[in-house]
Amino acid sequence: MAGINEYIILACILFGLGTIGFLTRRNALILFMSVELMLNSINLMLVAFSNTRADMGGQVMVLFIFAVAAAEVAVGLAILICLFKHMKSVDVNRFDLLKW
Amino acid sequence: MDFYFLLFAIMAVGAGIFTITAKDALPSALGLLTVFIALAALYLHLHAPLIAVFQVSIYAGAILVLVVFVIMLLITPDEELEQAQKNISYRAMGAILGAYLVALLVIGLAGIRQLVAQRSLPDGFGAPSQIGLLFFKQYLLHFEMASVLLLVALVAAIYLAKKNV
Repeated sequence: MAGINEYIILACILFGLGTIGFLTRRNALILFMSVELMLNSINLMLVAFSNTRADMGGQVMVLFIFAVAAAEVAVGLAILICLFKHMKSVDVNRFDLLKW
Repeated sequence: MDFYFLLFAIMAVGAGIFTITAKDALPSALGLLTVFIALAALYLHLHAPLIAVFQVSIYAGAILVLVVFVIMLLITPDEELEQAQKNISYRAMGAILGAYLVALLVIGLAGIRQLVAQRSLPDGFGAPSQIGLLFFKQYLLHFEMASVLLLVALVAAIYLAKKNV
C-alpha cells in the first residue's frame, strides 16, 4: 500500500500540470479542462488524507466538490457559448473588451 | 510503493501531460478522460468505492460529455489560435510559474508525515451506507446548500441559453 507521501506528490504534480496548462494555453476549452485537472488533484489529496486519518469527512467533502464542479461546468460552458456567439472565437486573448 | 499505485499514477501523469499539450481540444478531452479513469482506480485503492463510482459517472460521464458537446459546437477555423500559441515567451513564463508552484507544494507538504499518523481503518470505512449517514446527520445543512447551488446553476445555465444575452 502506497503511503500518504506518494499520493501527495502525485496530487501536487497533477495540480501543477493543471496550473501550467491554465497559464500556457489560449483555447478557452483547454483552460476549462486544466481547471478540472486541478479540482481532481485536490479530490485525490482529500481522499488520501481521509484514508490516512480514518475519517470519512474527506470523502463527504469530495462529494460536495463534485456538486460544485458540476455547477461550475454547466454555467462556465454556457458563458463560453455566449462568448463564442459574440466574438466568434475561443481564443482567450480576444476577450479583451474590458481592457483599458 | 506498490505496482497498482505506480501503474495508475504514471497513467494519470502521462494523460495529464497529454491534456495540456494536445493541439486540439478534442484529444485534450480524451486525455482528461484517461486522468479521470486513473484517479477512479486510485480511489478504489484508497477504500473509497462510492467516490470511484461517482468519479466515473459524474466526471467521466456527465461533465466530460458536456465538454465534448461544447467542443463540437464551437469548432472554429483555428489558424490564428495556433499562430498565437507559437509565441514562446508566454508558454515559457507559464511553465516556469507552474513548475515553481509544484516545487513549493512538494517542499511545503514534505514535512506533513509527522502530522498524520496512519490509523487502522474501522469496519465499513467508505461504505456508501456510512457516507449516507454522515450526509444526513453531520452534514445535512451542507447537503441542502449543495442542492440550492445546483438549482441556481440550473437557472443560470437556462438564462444564458436564451437567444439574446
